[in-house]
Amino acid sequence: MTQGTGIMMQQRAGRRTTWLLLLPVLVFLAVFFLVPLGQVLYFSVMDPTFTLHHYLAFFTDDFYWRVLFGTFRTTAIVTAFSLLLSYPLSYAIVRLGGGFATAMLLIVAMSFWTSFLVRTFAWMVILGNNGPLRAILATMGWTPPPELLFTRFSSTLAMVHLLVPFMVLALYSVMKKIDYTLVRAAISLGATPFEAFRRVFLPLSAPGIVNGCTLVFIMCLGFYVTPVLLGSPREQMIAGLIGTQIEEFLEFGEASATAVILLCVTMTVFAIYNRFVGLDKLWG
Amino acid sequence: MTNKNIKTEGKSISRRSALQLAGATVALTFPGPFISRAHARDVLYVNTWGGPWEEAAQKHLFEPFMKETGVEIKTVSPVSFAKLAAQVKTGVYEFDVTTLGDSDIVRANEAGIIEDASKAPLDQSKLWPGAVFQNGVGSHAFATLISYRKDKFPNGGPQSWADFFNPQKFPGTRCLQRHAGRVLAIALLADGVAPDKLYPMDLDRAFKALERIKPHLRVWWTQGPQSGQLLRDGEVDMIGIWQTYPVRLMREKQPVELVWNQALLDRAYWVVSKGSPRADLAWKFVQSAIRPERISKFALENIYGPLNPKAFEHVSTDDARLMPTSPENIKKVVIQDTSKASDQLQEASKQFERWIGR
Repeated sequence: MTQGTGIMMQQRAGRRTTWLLLLPVLVFLAVFFLVPLGQVLYFSVMDPTFTLHHYLAFFTDDFYWRVLFGTFRTTAIVTAFSLLLSYPLSYAIVRLGGGFATAMLLIVAMSFWTSFLVRTFAWMVILGNNGPLRAILATMGWTPPPELLFTRFSSTLAMVHLLVPFMVLALYSVMKKIDYTLVRAAISLGATPFEAFRRVFLPLSAPGIVNGCTLVFIMCLGFYVTPVLLGSPREQMIAGLIGTQIEEFLEFGEASATAVILLCVTMTVFAIYNRFVGLDKLWG
Repeated sequence: MTNKNIKTEGKSISRRSALQLAGATVALTFPGPFISRAHARDVLYVNTWGGPWEEAAQKHLFEPFMKETGVEIKTVSPVSFAKLAAQVKTGVYEFDVTTLGDSDIVRANEAGIIEDASKAPLDQSKLWPGAVFQNGVGSHAFATLISYRKDKFPNGGPQSWADFFNPQKFPGTRCLQRHAGRVLAIALLADGVAPDKLYPMDLDRAFKALERIKPHLRVWWTQGPQSGQLLRDGEVDMIGIWQTYPVRLMREKQPVELVWNQALLDRAYWVVSKGSPRADLAWKFVQSAIRPERISKFALENIYGPLNPKAFEHVSTDDARLMPTSPENIKKVVIQDTSKASDQLQEASKQFERWIGR
C-alpha cells in the first residue's frame, strides 16, 4: 500500500518535472506562435467590426479560386516528381548499402543543409540565358535553345530539387526496416522479381510514400520565394498572394483571411493523414 | 557672412577648450550660443532609404550640416509612409524629416501629416519656381526609362514607349517593374496619350495596350538591383528601368543603351513630420540639403537628378547627360501629375496584380 503511493508520488513528481521541462518551449510557442496566430484570426474577421466579407470575397471571386487551384496543381506535380525521383534513389541506397549508400545519403543531407535561398539562386545561374544548361542544349544542336528561366518548368524543377531530400529521408527510414527475406521468399515461391517487388516490397514501403508525400505536399503549399524568383509571372502561389496583399495594398484583413484559409487547407491534409496513419509517424 | 559663420563654427571645439581655460569671466562675456553649446547637442532624426542612398546622404548632406550647426543627425530607415502617419497620431516622433515620392506626398498632404511649408522659415531667395510642391521641398528625381541590349539591337533599339509596346517592330523579351502606377502610365504613353492628359488614367485603355506585349513580358522586376542584374545577364532584351542601373552598366562597358525620350520622372521631396518638436531645426536642415553644391554631390553619387536647377553649375556636362533633370534631358522626360490619380491608384494596383496572373 505505502509502496503503491510511493510509486504514485514518484510518478507525479516525474510528470511535474516533464511539465517543467516543457514550460520554456510552451511559453515560447504561446508568445511567438499562438498569439500572432490569434491576431491573424482576429484581423481576418474584424475590419473594424465583426465581418465575414474577407472570406466571402475569397470564395466568391474566381481570381482567388484560380490561385488556390493553381497552388494545388503545382504542389501535386512537385510531390509526384519528388516521389518519382526519390523512390528509386532510396531503393538503391537500401539495396546496395555500403559506400554507395553513405555517399548518396551524404549528398542528400548536404543539400538538406544548404539554405533554400542559396539553392534557388543557384538555379537562376544554371538556367539563365548565359547559363551552362542552355549552352549544353546549344552544343547538342538545339539552336536557339529555349529560354528556361521564369517558366513553370524552372520553378517546378527547383521546388522538386528543394524537396527531394525530405522525400528520400522519409522513404529511406521506412525501407531500411523492410525485411528483404520476404521478397526472396516470394521469388522462391515462383514470383517474378517485378511481381515480388510490386506485391511485397511496394506495399511494405507504402507508409514511407504516404509520409514523404504528406511532408512534401504541406511544405510545398506554403512555398513563397522560389516561385516568385524563378517562376513565370502568371503562375502565382497562394503564399505569394498573401505577400502582395500585405506589402502592396496594406490589406491586412484580406491577407489574414487568405492565410487562415491556407492554414485550414494544411490542417485538413494533416487531419486526413492523422485519421489514416497517425501524426506521430510523420517524422519516421 | 555665411562663410564666416561656417568657419567659426568649424573651430568650435578649440573655441570651447579655450573657453574652459579662460574661465567663467570670459564665458560671461560671450554671447548665448556658446553657452548653449556646452549643453547636450541638439539631435535631428532623419528618415532615410538606407544602403547607398544613406551613404551618399551621410557624406554630402548630413555631415556638412552637422559640422555647420553642431546638431547631431541620427538616421532611421527605411522610409515608411505608415510610420509617418502613425507618429502624428501617437505624438511619438521617431523621425522629424523624411523624403516622399510624387504619389505619397499627395497622400501625405491630404492626410495632413506633414508641416505647412508656406509657414516654414525657408529662405525664399534660395528656392526656384516649383521648388515647393504639396508642402514638400524638391530634392532629387529618378526616371523610369527604356534601356536595351545593344547586342540584340545593333541597329538601334526602341526609342519610345510606343516602340517598346510594338513587338512586331522590335521583337524580343521585355521586362517592367511590378508597379501599377508607373506601368499603367507607361502603357498610356505607348498608346499615344499626351503626357499632360495622363491623369486620371484611362485604365481600360492602359490594360488593352499592355495586352499587346504580355506574351513578351518574361518577368517583372521588384527590386532595383534585380532589374540591373536582369539586363546585365541578358535575361531580357529591353527593360523599363531606373537610370542608375543602365548608367552603371554602361560605365562597366556592358552593351547597354538607355533612352531619355519619354522617361517617366519620379521626384522626391523633403517633408517635415507634422507637429514635430524639432520642426524649426528640420526646416533648417531641409534648407541646407537643397543647396546646389550639396544636392549636386549627393545626386552624382547615385546618379539621380537634382531638382534645384542651380545644382547643375556644380555638375560637369558629361555627368549632366546621365541625369534626368539636366537642362537637356528635362525636355524629354514626362512629369507625372499624380495629384489627379491619388484616388484611383489603390484600385488600379489591385486590377494590375490580377491582370499579371491572368
